[in-house]
Amino acid sequence: MLKLSTLLLAGAAAATFAAVPAVAQQKAPLSILRIIDADNYDPIRSTATAAAEVMYMLADTLVTVDFDMKTIKPGLAESWTISPDGMTYTFKLRKDVKFCDGRPMTVDDVVYSLKRWIDPASKSPVSFRAGPVKDIRVDGDSTLIYELKEPYSDLMFQLALSFASVVDKNTVEKLGPNFGVQGFNGTGPYCWSKWTPRQELVLKKNPHYSWGPPIYKDPKPQIDEIVWKVIPESNTLMAAIQAKQADVTYYMPYIALDTMQRIPGMTVQRQENYIYDVFMGFKVDKPVAKDKVIRQAANMATNKEAIAKAIFFGKGQTLPSLLNPAVLDYDKSSADKMPKYDPAGAAKLLDEAGWKPGADGIREKDGQKATFTVYGIRNDSNPRISEAMQADLRKVGIDMKIQLWDATVAWGKLATQEFDAFLMSYPYVTATEAMSLYFRSQQVPTPNRMNWKDPKTDELLKSAATATDADKRKQALAEVQTQLTEANVWVPLVSQPLWVVATDRVEGARAHGLYGAGLYKGLDLKLKR
Amino acid sequence: MSSPMKLERNALQPGAKTVEAAVSVAAAAPVRRKTVFRMLLSDVGSCVALALVVLAILCATFAPWLAPTDPFGNDLANTLKPPGEMGLLGTDGQGRSMITRLLFGLRTSLLMGLASVAFGCTIGGVIGFAAAYYPKASGVLMRFMDILLSFPAILFGLAIAAIFGPGLPAVIIALTIATVPLMARVVRGSALVVLQQGYIEAARSLGLSDLRIIIRYVLPNCLSAIFVFVTLRFGQVILLGAALSFLGLGAQPPTAELGAMAADGRNFLFFAPHVSVLPSLVIFAVVLAFNVLGDSLRDALDPKLRK
Repeated sequence: MLKLSTLLLAGAAAATFAAVPAVAQQKAPLSILRIIDADNYDPIRSTATAAAEVMYMLADTLVTVDFDMKTIKPGLAESWTISPDGMTYTFKLRKDVKFCDGRPMTVDDVVYSLKRWIDPASKSPVSFRAGPVKDIRVDGDSTLIYELKEPYSDLMFQLALSFASVVDKNTVEKLGPNFGVQGFNGTGPYCWSKWTPRQELVLKKNPHYSWGPPIYKDPKPQIDEIVWKVIPESNTLMAAIQAKQADVTYYMPYIALDTMQRIPGMTVQRQENYIYDVFMGFKVDKPVAKDKVIRQAANMATNKEAIAKAIFFGKGQTLPSLLNPAVLDYDKSSADKMPKYDPAGAAKLLDEAGWKPGADGIREKDGQKATFTVYGIRNDSNPRISEAMQADLRKVGIDMKIQLWDATVAWGKLATQEFDAFLMSYPYVTATEAMSLYFRSQQVPTPNRMNWKDPKTDELLKSAATATDADKRKQALAEVQTQLTEANVWVPLVSQPLWVVATDRVEGARAHGLYGAGLYKGLDLKLKR
Repeated sequence: MSSPMKLERNALQPGAKTVEAAVSVAAAAPVRRKTVFRMLLSDVGSCVALALVVLAILCATFAPWLAPTDPFGNDLANTLKPPGEMGLLGTDGQGRSMITRLLFGLRTSLLMGLASVAFGCTIGGVIGFAAAYYPKASGVLMRFMDILLSFPAILFGLAIAAIFGPGLPAVIIALTIATVPLMARVVRGSALVVLQQGYIEAARSLGLSDLRIIIRYVLPNCLSAIFVFVTLRFGQVILLGAALSFLGLGAQPPTAELGAMAADGRNFLFFAPHVSVLPSLVIFAVVLAFNVLGDSLRDALDPKLRK
C-alpha cells in the first residue's frame, strides 16, 4: 500500500514537472466555480441566473448597469436620447464592434436580436420585459430607433439584461434550436468554445474586443481562457477553492466566508448593492392567511434579524421593507410602516382579534385553527429559514406547516392554489419591475401567487410603468409600497448578499451581480501566474 | 380456545402418528424459545446488540420525558455550538439541543421502521401464505412480487413523494411496498416446506378450513424464519427511511428524524461536524444492532447450526 502511494506521488510529481514548461508559456485557464448549469445559453430562451451569468461574457447589450445598480452606462450604444413623451428611444451605436467570428456588427444585427426577443414565434418567456413595443427600426447606418406604444420607464434597465443580448443571425439560423447549445456567436469579451452540460463551459478570449463598458478600467479582456465549472455540492466547492484547484466563485457557502478571509492572499469581496431578496408571501384569499391580523402577527413574530445572522452566518441583511434599499425607487417612508419585531405585541394583537390559544398552544377563532401551509423550493437556505420562522410563529401560537419541493416539481406546485403562503427568492433591477411582476392582478396565479387583485395597485403600477417623469414614478411606487406594507401581504426576510471569493492567482475580481451575474462581463480580471 | 382443540384431538384418533407430530410441534415451542434465548445470551455480540436495541426502544419511548429541552424551540443566538457547550452534545443549526433532537429523531425513525415493517410483513405474509397454499394463484402473485422487487425503494419513495408530497406517510408507504415482496418470498418459501409435512395432510383430511390450517399449523412452523426476517428487515428499513429523509422526502420540519438531521448538518460539515455525525452514528449503531441481532437469531433458530 505504501509502495503504491509512493509510486502515485512520484508519478504526480513527474507529471507536474513535465507540465511546468507549458504553464510558463500559457497560463492555465481561469476557472470559475458554480453550483448549477443552465438548460441552454440562448439569451431569449433561458430565464436561469446560470445562463445570464455566462451570457454577459458571451454577448453585449445596448446599455450596461454600473456597480451601483442604479446608473445606466453605455454598452453597444455609445449614446442615446429619449423623446419627451417617453415613447421613442434613439440609440447611436458603436461602429467598431465585431462578432467572435470576426464579422463586423451592424445595426441590423441589433434590430434582428431585439425583434427575435419580442417575436411571438420565438415564444420567449421574457419577451414581456421588452415593454409595449410599436417598432424597432434602423435609421441610417448606426442609429436604432426603439418606439413604444406607451411610455415604459423600465426600458433602459431591461435592455441591460442578458435577455436583450445581441446575437449573430447567421449562427442562430444555422443552429436552429441548438443555438446556445452547440454553439454561440456574440460580440462579448469571451467566445463560446465548448460546452459539456452540467460539467463545464469553456470560453476563449474574443481577440477583437475593445468596446468594454466604461464601468471597467480596461475595455479589453485580459484572460485567454475561462472555464465555468459546475460543482453542485457546496462543501466540495469550498474545498476546491481552499486547495486552489479553482480560482473564483460567488457561490461560497456563507459559513465558509470568514475562514476564506483568513487564508492569506484570498480576496473576499462583497457587493453592497446586490439585489436578490428572500420573502414569504401570503395568499390573501385563503382561510387563515386572508386575515390581516394573522399576516401582521407573522411579520411581528418573525425575528428577521436573528434569521439573517444565524442562517446566513452574519452575512445576510434584514430586509426593512418589501424592497431592497439598494433598488431604484425604494421608499423609505413605507419601510417605517413595516411592523417591527415584537412577539409580545403579536400575541396581544391576536388576542384582541379573537384568536385565543387552544389546548395545544395553537390559537383558534370560530373553530378555525391558526394554521397555514407554506410551499417553497428545497435549496440550501429555504429549509433553515422556514424552520426558524416556524419556531418563531409557534411561540405566538401560529402553526406554520412547511412543505418544500425539489426544484424539478417546485415550480409546478408553486403555480397551484394548494398552499397558503410561499417562500421565494428572486433577483430584480427596479422597483417597477419587482412590484409589477408580483402584484398586478393580471399576473395571477403566477408570479402573483398572493392572488392580490386590487384596482388601486393596478392603477398605480400602470402609472409608474408609463411615467415619463422620474418623480412621478417614484411617487406612484411609494404609494404601492405603502399600500402593500400596510396590508402585510409579504413577510420580507433577508437580502442575500453576494460575495466574490478569489484566490491569490486572480487580480481585479470585483462583485457586480446584475441578475445574479457576480462577475458581469469578466473584464479587469487578470491572472498573476 | 380449548373446545375446538379437544374436538380435533377426538377426531384425530385414527391417525395416532399425526396427532403425535402435531402435539410434539406444539409442545416443542416453549422449550425451543428458552433454548433460543439462552443461545442469544451466550454470545457477547448478540448480548450487546440486544442491549442496544432495548436501549434504543426505551429512549424512543420515553423521549418526551428524557429530553432536557423543547424539541421545537429554536435559539438562533446559540446555533451550531460544539459538544460540551449548551448541553452535552451541543446544538444544531437552529440552536436546538442535539440530545433532545437525537432522542426525538430516534423515536421518529423507530416508529417509521415499526410501521413499515408491520404493514409490509402483514401484507407480504398474507400474500406469501396464499401463494404457498394455492399453487394456482402462486404464479400470478409471485410474478407480481417479482415486479415489485425490481424497483428500488428509493424510487418508490421519490414517486410517492412526488404524488402525495413529502412526509412520513410517503416514506412509510414506500418502505411498506419495498418490504411486501421480500416478506412474501420468505413466507412462501418456508410455508412450502411446512406444507409437505404429514400433519398438514392430516389436518386437510380432517376437513379443517384453509384459514385454520394456515393459522394453526403453517404459521407457527414458519415463525422462526419470519422472526429472523423481521429483525433483519427492521434494520434495513431504518437505514432506507433515513436515506429517504436525507433526500428530503421523509419527516418534514420541525419533526426530528435521524436521516433528515444528518442532511441538515451536511451544510456545515467542515465547521460543525457534530450536527451530521451524531445522528449518523445513532443510525449506524441501531442498524448494526438489529442486523447482529437478526443474525444471532437465525443462528439460534437454525437446528443445523445448533450445537
